[in-house]
Amino acid sequence: MIEIRDLGKTYNTGAITLEALKNVNLDIEAGEFVAIMGPSGSGKSTLMNIIGCLDRPSVGTYSLDGKDISSLDENELAVIRNQKIGFVFQTFNLLPRLNAMRNVELPMVYAGVDPVTRRQKASEALDRVGILDHAKHRPNELSGGQRQRVAVARALVNSPRLILADEPTGNLDSKSGAEVMALFDELHAQGSAIVLVTHDPEIGAHAERIIRFRDGEQVKNN
Amino acid sequence: MNWLEMILVALDGIWVNKLRSSLTVLGIIIGVASVILVLTLGRGGQSKIMNELESMGSNVFVVYVNQPEDGDYNKYKITSEECKIMRESIEGIKALTPMAYASPQVQSRRKKENCMIIGTESCYNQITNIPMVKGRFINQNDDAAARKVIVINQKMSDDLFGVGGDALGQVITVDQTPVMICGIFKNGSGMLEGAPRAMAYMPINTFLSMFPYSGVYELDGSAETKEQVEKVAQRVLKSLEIRHDAVGKKAYMVFNMEQELQSANNVMSIITMIISAIAGISLLVGGIGVMNIMLVSVTERTREIGIRMAIGAKRTDIMIQFLIEAVVLSLLGGVIGVMLGLGGGAIVCLLAKIPFTVSIGIVLLAFIFSSVVGIFFGMYPANRAAKLDPIEALRYE
Repeated sequence: MIEIRDLGKTYNTGAITLEALKNVNLDIEAGEFVAIMGPSGSGKSTLMNIIGCLDRPSVGTYSLDGKDISSLDENELAVIRNQKIGFVFQTFNLLPRLNAMRNVELPMVYAGVDPVTRRQKASEALDRVGILDHAKHRPNELSGGQRQRVAVARALVNSPRLILADEPTGNLDSKSGAEVMALFDELHAQGSAIVLVTHDPEIGAHAERIIRFRDGEQVKNN
Repeated sequence: MNWLEMILVALDGIWVNKLRSSLTVLGIIIGVASVILVLTLGRGGQSKIMNELESMGSNVFVVYVNQPEDGDYNKYKITSEECKIMRESIEGIKALTPMAYASPQVQSRRKKENCMIIGTESCYNQITNIPMVKGRFINQNDDAAARKVIVINQKMSDDLFGVGGDALGQVITVDQTPVMICGIFKNGSGMLEGAPRAMAYMPINTFLSMFPYSGVYELDGSAETKEQVEKVAQRVLKSLEIRHDAVGKKAYMVFNMEQELQSANNVMSIITMIISAIAGISLLVGGIGVMNIMLVSVTERTREIGIRMAIGAKRTDIMIQFLIEAVVLSLLGGVIGVMLGLGGGAIVCLLAKIPFTVSIGIVLLAFIFSSVVGIFFGMYPANRAAKLDPIEALRYE
């Protein structure tokens, strides 16, 4: 599903050129659960942004479902983010003014789904992550674990083929973290591809495969 | 994302910062309200003046002796016979009467005073409506027989016979000549006339016999229709010029009400435009307020913008969201401003006794203008929001 070939990313900040990623080659199959691990500054977040179509590679190619991402314009990228990818962030990134239900509805709003279907699908998604009874609560009325569940519901509501999670347990206590990870295991069991960025080996252990990064380069699996 | 939903999102954004939004909207409210107020008062004043001028008759004209080059006024003096001939021969004429003026002393048994007396003919009340309180205006028999009668106004009646005194049928002396009061008419009540003064009308032939040194230097007339007034007045002018060998000497001049109406109208419009342009500046200031608050809002909601982009909002979606918010803010100001402006206008019109009218055009213009202000001043902040880099925006604290 994901094919990355000779990919590199450099940042030009005035006089200094920073090489965030070099020479990355990576394949991820549909339905696979992959963890990307490495210390901070290793380039794993940059890779995550590229896979998530928020950023473009400087060199090399990235194709998702056979489509070369670098050939797409901004609007097409927005559609891909909306339809094919679900994001789960470390800091949840829910909209504080909207209640759980409306947060989950948001991706469907941009997909142009009608309000009735939207409400129904959002309820299903909230039910799936076990938080339907908190649908009317705003994020600040929910615990960290509950917020992350809402975020997971939002990520999966458009039935994306790929869920991208960036340190999803980083801001959670170990119990909530374990619950959220159980949720990812379940999603994986139901057939979603999951790419998870973490530096916690315990979290990484949930994945079928671990890809390690250091200084912007893939560490070869031994 | 449909429009209704976007408007709801915008209203939500506005509602969250109630105080801030209402202060911003206040700028627009003041701008719109003052423009509406000025325009409403301008229109009211205009129609009031128009009505007054119109009531004097818009098909009315005046031909008068201007300062002749040779200084010989006597040569250009008009006789009532000439007037009669012209009245009967000129096409399109409805009425034409000589006008002569004097300010003699008048005296009743009770009191004496100076007043303004106009010598004219019975057809004068076809030119200008003279509302009678009692008795009658000069009639054709008065004209023909040069009867010693006088038509006085209420003020003069009150002065000479006391308020409530019965002046009708009484004899007063005008420069020692006794004349009988045959009618009393209402004081003028127009905005243009000011405080009423004692004045009276007498048949022109009587007048001329009483004031031999005076003469007719003015003819007042009216045309059959408003359209003909200019032509008819010119015919009278030409006729006088030929009779008095005054062609090309500019001895006679024409004054017509239609022209006066036009110029009064133009002056009013210009004044209204200037004042509303000044009021419009406050709308501009209001617009800058909207822009300012939208820029703050974009900065505050950088992270929200990042989130929306990550889950699939296009740049145009973000842009439209903020643009709608700006337009909703200014339209809200527009709606409240229109209501305040019209309300204020109604009150002021009531107090100033001028007619209050609501112009749909002005209200529509206010709405269009305030949404244009919203679009114009919302464009830059909205564009700035849409141009944010999603990764940077997501990282924003």
